[in-house]
Amino acid sequence: MIEARDVSVAIGGKRIVANVDFDMRPGEIAAIVGPNGSGKTTLLRALSGDLAYSGEVTINGRDLSVMKPVEAATMRAVLPQATTLSFPFTVREIVRLGLLGGCSGALPGEAQRLPERALARVDLDGFAGRFYQELSGGEQQRVQLARVLCQVWAPVLDGKPRYLFLDEPVSSLDIKHQLIIMNIAREFATRGGGVVAILHDLNLTAMYADRILVMHRGRLAATGSPQDVLSDDLIERVFDCRLRVGMLPAGDMPFVLPQSAA
Amino acid sequence: MVDQSIAGAGTMATASDGDRSGRARIVILLLCLGLAIAVMLSLTSGASDASAVSVVGDWLVGAAPGNAALSARDRLIVYDIRLPRVILGVLIGAALAVSGAVMQGLFRNPLADPGLIGVSAGSSLGAVAVIVLGATALAPMTSVLGTLALPLAAFCGGLATTLVLYQVATRHGQTSVATMLLAGIALAALAMALTGILIFMADDRQLRDLTFWQLGSLAGATWQKIGSVGPIIVLALAAMPFLARGLNALALGEATAGHLGIPVQRLKYTAIIGVSAAVGASVAVSGGIGFVGIVVPHLLRLAIGPDNRYLLPASALLGACLLLLADAVARTIVAPAELPIGIVTAIAGAPFFLWILLRKRGVVDL
Repeated sequence: MIEARDVSVAIGGKRIVANVDFDMRPGEIAAIVGPNGSGKTTLLRALSGDLAYSGEVTINGRDLSVMKPVEAATMRAVLPQATTLSFPFTVREIVRLGLLGGCSGALPGEAQRLPERALARVDLDGFAGRFYQELSGGEQQRVQLARVLCQVWAPVLDGKPRYLFLDEPVSSLDIKHQLIIMNIAREFATRGGGVVAILHDLNLTAMYADRILVMHRGRLAATGSPQDVLSDDLIERVFDCRLRVGMLPAGDMPFVLPQSAA
Repeated sequence: MVDQSIAGAGTMATASDGDRSGRARIVILLLCLGLAIAVMLSLTSGASDASAVSVVGDWLVGAAPGNAALSARDRLIVYDIRLPRVILGVLIGAALAVSGAVMQGLFRNPLADPGLIGVSAGSSLGAVAVIVLGATALAPMTSVLGTLALPLAAFCGGLATTLVLYQVATRHGQTSVATMLLAGIALAALAMALTGILIFMADDRQLRDLTFWQLGSLAGATWQKIGSVGPIIVLALAAMPFLARGLNALALGEATAGHLGIPVQRLKYTAIIGVSAAVGASVAVSGGIGFVGIVVPHLLRLAIGPDNRYLLPASALLGACLLLLADAVARTIVAPAELPIGIVTAIAGAPFFLWILLRKRGVVDL
């Protein structure tokens, strides 16, 4: 369980996130959506323990602000938007860094093989020997996800759920790999973990998110299930453009269709 | 697990793909061998003709009177002149190379080197202050600390420079290469200007000491010098392996290293203090010996990759080997006179540095 109470973040005297409240239960994918500069990444960074915040955040009942890095590392793994390297690490060497904290939760003897298995899951089988710097942006992002998966391989450790914090995990990916990555997130949640992901694609969000947090000018403009949140009014107001929200004929899943800007 | 079969097959085919730890271990073993050879050659080469055989023979038989394979003169040369020089060379070579590697890990940048970014200049300032003012303004300090005053002052100078540099060059966990190099130039210039003021105040005898010392040399190595800086260097080197995993994680950025469970602040300050101590101690006894810290880790990264668990020990070994080699060149190239070793490392290292820049053009984001 992640509980955020009245969380505000100021950077350089400017308030980027203001009075955000939400609860997140394990088993859920929570998607943070919102226009550029609405405070999505700042909110996620505060939850990751990177930024000082006011208010209260607890993860599994533990106060985030007093947690040591090593304790936080057992509870959640964080995928940043992009990671560049200055040294020629191989893909395997990068993925193996996920095992650094020794909290993968894999069975003894299994940990050695986790890098391969994690790479296979993100559809990078056979990439272990390649140099990270020589990969495309989308491939690099999937390597980082494999590393993140190694860190929290078991979605539940010692009876406690663990969390994936993903900052735009699919932004640089083609459609096939977007679905692969979102399916990994879905499986992680189904097996008892929790996922918080910043997403830009509202349709992908509608497909996968159990709950949507809509950020607008640093505040939580709305939160709830896709059906509740994705409405013409709210989306047009928050994103400041013309959109049509429809409902797929087959089920109860909403979709968002952009209208011409004029 | 759904992917069991796929992953299993993948493992069979690619069990060691991208894993360079095996190669790294072999390289480290070879470097141990190389260092042993370099030490032996350094001990036995020089103006006196004490040969490798007689030195080993002497070790085996001990210094039993009448049975000694070495003459008293040879023994004096080997044990009181060459051996301290070799030990100092090994310590300083290792200290400079490891400091370079740690600094590069800390700044996430392959061009960071204590000599290039002003740390050595800061250390020099501290050392020169003790040499020039030791008998006057700093007398209370030097009388209390004795022979430790010089390395300690050099340590403080290096530490202050590194801390300022890190504050200036790092924003939000990212270090800008351009800022780092430029700030390093500014700090080095400032330290050198202050050093210049001190030199201006120095008397003739001090001036001679300073000039020779500033060029960098292992000549004048004594057991006493080893006693005063050896423990500092050994201590600093002993702390470095504990940084290796953290520095690996730091390659992904400060935030990500923290997410992986690394206490980043503690890592950074341990690294800065360790590097300052190692560089300060080296500068205190041997002056400015440049480029070891950039050449050695760079060569090794080509061979075994950037994993600091192997890079740091390998750097220590190769740094020691190369400095002994450079010292051998310095001692013999203009024999019977001797070239300052700092000149040798600069002549070999500076073109190498330019070569790195050419190769990395477009890769290193300046």
